[in-house]
Amino acid sequence: MLGKSSGALSAVRAAIARRRGSHLVWVATFCFVFGAPVLAAQAKNVLVLYSNDRLVPGDIEVDRGLRDVLTKEPDRPVQIFSEFLDRPDFGGASYETTETTYLREKYAARQPDVIVAVADDALDFLLGNRAQLFPQAVVVYAAVSKSHLRSIPPLPADMVGVPREYDFAGTIGQALRWHPAARRLMVVTGASAHDREWEAELRREIPSVAGSVSVEYLAGLPTASVLQRLRGLGPDSVVFTPGYFLDGEGQLFSPRDAAALIAAASAAPVYGPFDTFLGTGVVGGRMPSFEEMGRQAGQIVARLLAGAPPTSLRLPETAPMALRVDWRQIRRWRIDEKAIPADAVVYFREPTLWDSYRNAAIAVAAIILLQAGLIVTLLLERRRRRTAEFAVQKQRTELAHASRLAIAGELTASIAHEINQPLGAILTSADAAELLLQSGVDRSDDLRRIVARIRRDDLRASDVIRQLRALFAKHEPQRKPFELNAAAADVAAMLRVEAQRRRVALDVRPMAAPADVIGDQIQIEQVLIILALNAMDALADVAEDRRAVVLSVAATEGGWRVVVRDHGNGIEPEHFPKLFDSFFTTKPNGMGLGLSIARSIVEAHGGRIWAERLAEGAAFHVDLPDAGRAGKATVGSV
Amino acid sequence: MSTSPLIHVVDDDESMRTSVLELLEAAGFEARGYASTGEFLLHPPPDRVGCLLLDVRLPGPSGLDLQAALRRQGVTLPIVFLTGHANVATSVLAMKGGAVDFLEKPVGREVLLEALGRALARDASARAAREEASEQSTRLAALTPREHEVFKRLLAGKRNKDIAAELGIGLRTVKAYRAQLMAKLGVDSPAELGRFAGKRPDAID
Repeated sequence: MLGKSSGALSAVRAAIARRRGSHLVWVATFCFVFGAPVLAAQAKNVLVLYSNDRLVPGDIEVDRGLRDVLTKEPDRPVQIFSEFLDRPDFGGASYETTETTYLREKYAARQPDVIVAVADDALDFLLGNRAQLFPQAVVVYAAVSKSHLRSIPPLPADMVGVPREYDFAGTIGQALRWHPAARRLMVVTGASAHDREWEAELRREIPSVAGSVSVEYLAGLPTASVLQRLRGLGPDSVVFTPGYFLDGEGQLFSPRDAAALIAAASAAPVYGPFDTFLGTGVVGGRMPSFEEMGRQAGQIVARLLAGAPPTSLRLPETAPMALRVDWRQIRRWRIDEKAIPADAVVYFREPTLWDSYRNAAIAVAAIILLQAGLIVTLLLERRRRRTAEFAVQKQRTELAHASRLAIAGELTASIAHEINQPLGAILTSADAAELLLQSGVDRSDDLRRIVARIRRDDLRASDVIRQLRALFAKHEPQRKPFELNAAAADVAAMLRVEAQRRRVALDVRPMAAPADVIGDQIQIEQVLIILALNAMDALADVAEDRRAVVLSVAATEGGWRVVVRDHGNGIEPEHFPKLFDSFFTTKPNGMGLGLSIARSIVEAHGGRIWAERLAEGAAFHVDLPDAGRAGKATVGSV
Repeated sequence: MSTSPLIHVVDDDESMRTSVLELLEAAGFEARGYASTGEFLLHPPPDRVGCLLLDVRLPGPSGLDLQAALRRQGVTLPIVFLTGHANVATSVLAMKGGAVDFLEKPVGREVLLEALGRALARDASARAAREEASEQSTRLAALTPREHEVFKRLLAGKRNKDIAAELGIGLRTVKAYRAQLMAKLGVDSPAELGRFAGKRPDAID
């Protein structure tokens, strides 16, 4: 941890030296002043003289604030030059002489109109060497401590600025307000003279704010033991440190690095008075901001460059103080957000999504809302359509069912016969059995045979009923593979008796190979029955030797074709175009639904149905896709 | 030649046919089954008392067709129709065609046996009548032309004296013919002779 701090060594030394006191050494050096003190017509020159190294965080922040203001001066282009005195690494009378000569010669051609002195040492340097440098330039000081100003003679009128002040008491007071449960205040200070000054100041100021909280000073101790102590703190403690330059073992630090070590080790929240501490793990404190001081100096420079005499400026007593806090620490120590004053400057607040992407969020939300609206509309539309489709489908299903019932009506006579037949046989068998029993002779073999036949006839009757129920019951359309030859055979079985009754030969010619299709077998059988019955109707008036209906299954490209052919009187040419229309019929008792339903069934199976007029009679063709190709069939919509 | 009756059952429904045959056998009848009218025609019924239990609707020629064909062929086997789908038109046709009865499936045992009994009785009596008629024909055929002349005139109610005059023969001769023909025809009295003639109107010609 100590090694870490060595990188900031020069900054530390600078801070030490600032206090250790290179008091102004007035070197009477008379130098030639090259170049006329003519201000450039447009560009004004501003020389910023920093006390310390260019990489000291405070210097960088002052520079940022200053440039932020001055580069925004629209009318006056401002040329900003920065010089660093590199205190305390460099110092002493000869260094000052060299420095003075260097600056004078360097800026001979670019006489500064305003010189900004940043921090105590720069101001001291200017006070001592101004005459040899640029006596006509107005001096604006920044980040010079009030206590330093008090310790030197009053400044000349053309040296203006706002002094800085630390607010130890204010910071501690704020810390105790945020941690009302705290019973102990740990104050960590260092071993250097400057550290001792801070310690003295703290001992002076703390009693007024500490109240009943007990105060413990860890002053001038080795860093290791300080950290050890802080690690063991309980939740009732609060730590305050201004950092230190030198610890009890003679190790050098920058206050910021010291504060970082302390904050990292401490089990209790750590507060500090400098804004450079922010980000090290310190919660925060009341503090001026170097950037703010730079900004303030910039504004003063701008007004001077605009022509305002230095004496006319009404400047605040001290640089503005603000409560500055590290948001992450606020969260870490569970400090009530509401207790943070509205004017506090909060650092490292993780911006919420809303903060970061407000416009994008609004746009996205708007798009999502629009889309949602669109989707809802589409869904409603889809639902409406589906409802309508469903209604149509239901209607079709019911029509198909009605058509099957109509078929049932047509087949009543043969159905009755088919059921009656086994019933009659059963009765007769029972009579025969009774007679055998009455005869008194033991003819149990005959009786067994008769009973077996009764059972067989009974099963036959119920088979008929089951088959009919399958055909005539209401059922939801299926989508399953089935075999077309088997369907044709079923149809032949169902129509056998009817054909006999009408004295028509029904000739079913299946294929040798299986013809697999996908869909609703009952519906396809219904189609074949409709076609076969139509064919039989067409034969009603022809001579008996012509009364034949041929139902054949054959392969076609990509599927199967069922042809139902008769040798009847054929189709009248004027009827031909209307064959498949609903309610078109040439039969006295027909409803005109058969072929129209047959077509809707076939088309729902992805197939095609059409009629052909033959020289004698007619043929109806039904093409159905092979099971492997029936992907587009929408059996459900029948 | 058996004298017991034989019942022919024509029904394409194998089960129905078998159970009917079984019933008839249980009832003590001899019965034969045929699946179609054609099958029946291929097996001409033997010359015994019998009847036909016939389904109306059959593959190929129907029961009614068979009835008509048998009638044309002069087969007098009485027919009882037994059908699963009776309707008035069919039954009228059947009865006009001379059917004994027209029964509807399912049929009870009593009804069926009663109808078959009637049919068999009808066949038996028809056979008896036929046998009698054929005997008479034989007897008639045994008459000589002269005896036949006399027979015709006797039937016409003519007296012996008138017949003798008509035929230009003697009264005694007429009487001899008359005795002869009555013996040949197997009748003992003129009244019987009249009855014989009543049964055989053709004898007069």
